[in-house]
Amino acid sequence: MPEQYSEETILSVRNLSVTRSGEEVLERISIDIRRGEFVGLVGPNGSGKTTLLLAILGVLKPLKGDISVFGHAPGSKHNLGMVGWVPQAATQLPNNIHITVGELIKLGTLNQENYLWGVMSQMMKDRVDMALEMVGLTEMANVDVSRLSGGQLQRAVIGRALASESEFILFDEPLVGVDRASRNSLLRLLDDLCHNHGKTILIVSHDLTAVTQATHRIIYLEGGIQYDGPTEGLPDLSELANLRGIKHVHAGQEGTLNAESNHEGGK
Amino acid sequence: MGVGSAVMYVVSPILESIAPYVPGEVFPHFFSGLFQNALVASILVTVVAGFLGSFLLVRNLSLIGDGLAHVSFGGICVGLVMGSSSPLWFALVFSTIAAILIFEMQRNEILTGDASIAIFLTGMLAFGLVVLRLWGGGITIDVEGYLFGSVLLIDEQDLDLIVIISVFSISSLSFLQNGLLATTIDPLAAQVQGLPARGLGLFFSITTAAVVVSMVQVVGTLLVTALLVTPAATAQLVGRSFRACLIWTQFFGLTSVILGLYLSSEMETGSGSMIAVVAATIFGTVGLYQTLLVPLFYPRGN
Repeated sequence: MPEQYSEETILSVRNLSVTRSGEEVLERISIDIRRGEFVGLVGPNGSGKTTLLLAILGVLKPLKGDISVFGHAPGSKHNLGMVGWVPQAATQLPNNIHITVGELIKLGTLNQENYLWGVMSQMMKDRVDMALEMVGLTEMANVDVSRLSGGQLQRAVIGRALASESEFILFDEPLVGVDRASRNSLLRLLDDLCHNHGKTILIVSHDLTAVTQATHRIIYLEGGIQYDGPTEGLPDLSELANLRGIKHVHAGQEGTLNAESNHEGGK
Repeated sequence: MGVGSAVMYVVSPILESIAPYVPGEVFPHFFSGLFQNALVASILVTVVAGFLGSFLLVRNLSLIGDGLAHVSFGGICVGLVMGSSSPLWFALVFSTIAAILIFEMQRNEILTGDASIAIFLTGMLAFGLVVLRLWGGGITIDVEGYLFGSVLLIDEQDLDLIVIISVFSISSLSFLQNGLLATTIDPLAAQVQGLPARGLGLFFSITTAAVVVSMVQVVGTLLVTALLVTPAATAQLVGRSFRACLIWTQFFGLTSVILGLYLSSEMETGSGSMIAVVAATIFGTVGLYQTLLVPLFYPRGN
């Protein structure tokens, strides 16, 4: 790994086991992420990628093991607002609402102290403007989100996370529903956030080509961590398949990772 | 002097001054004297319902108003049987408890979607009817007013309840609107930012329960959804931002109520049903205009 990263560990996962609907989705996982890293989390459906994100966010409680985010348990008041969440915009936003890009990003500025009352402080407005600029949607602040393309919508949702000024941002499948050209510019945006704005990024994606193109470090999850190291060193996928003895792991035409695994169910 | 009388003390002279310009034979009485309570109550309830309805719609909870209204009816029946002079307070207790239970059942995924609403709706409506049948004696007459609305019979005491609930709801909703919108659009992101998603949801449910009760006399338990959801749904057809939708909701809601009261008083129909018909007609007209005419003249929908 390049030496530009600070030594400060902002995420530390130790021997984590998580169950969902009675089934153990994650078993004895350990991960450390340092400030400034750009990490890709890949693996087939049901390997527990999203489960891991939800556990880091404090939404799912671990069965065993420890998670420490900025030195505190997830969801503690000491790290509240320091972690950002960017879901897959296309499916996670309600489609029966008219809301402008500006209104959506403004919601990112809310926290436990200022969510009461509808008036925005100048600081909140500045943060919205800054977030709009960072994701390149300044011109579209007053456009209804239902009129945006997949890539623009995803940018708007990233803008919301940026408006909260979180330092560690978790992305769950941000490239789904985004066309190829926008996908590249989204990846450039993430790279910019990491390099020029000091954000630490953990991105979950099916799109192996995109993730290997952008990240410095890859964690491959399939019944446990199969690989965790520099992106360049990621073994060939067929090797991983042999390693695991699973039937098919192959990179699809667009590098999409498909696998038949026993872990059906949870995302 | 109750809060209702206090409001009337301020509003009454204003309405009196408008009265001479109001068309119709019966409708002017809503402005001068006789039916002023009815007009003020209707407007208050509509403003609050529209505000609340915009959030209900986005949360995909359009039917909860209907469910809670039926629960309220159960409460009213119990109140009537117990000889209470204002059975709406009973309705308030029943509806609040039901709202909390429905919220918790949905949150804990004991029942998904509308199932819990359906169970409460039918269960409590039936409970009310059984109670009335067993111990109600001759009070079945009063019941119709609560089913279909009895806006003309709103007295000072009823107005007190309506004003209290409206002021409480409108102030708390404005106070919490950003947080509510954030948890509505993306509960997880809101929680990660530190917003109390569960507390906000619960509070919203309780507010909905109270607002529904305040609407019972204006439109009746069967027609509550007409003011709660229809104007907000119409606004979604024209609004292009959340703020714009909130404003359009008020426009459509107030138009429905004023036009509904006017038509019902002149044609001597029930006010609640006429308001509901007007609201639905406005929705239909705007919907037709948007789907048929707009694409015709602006083919790309801009």
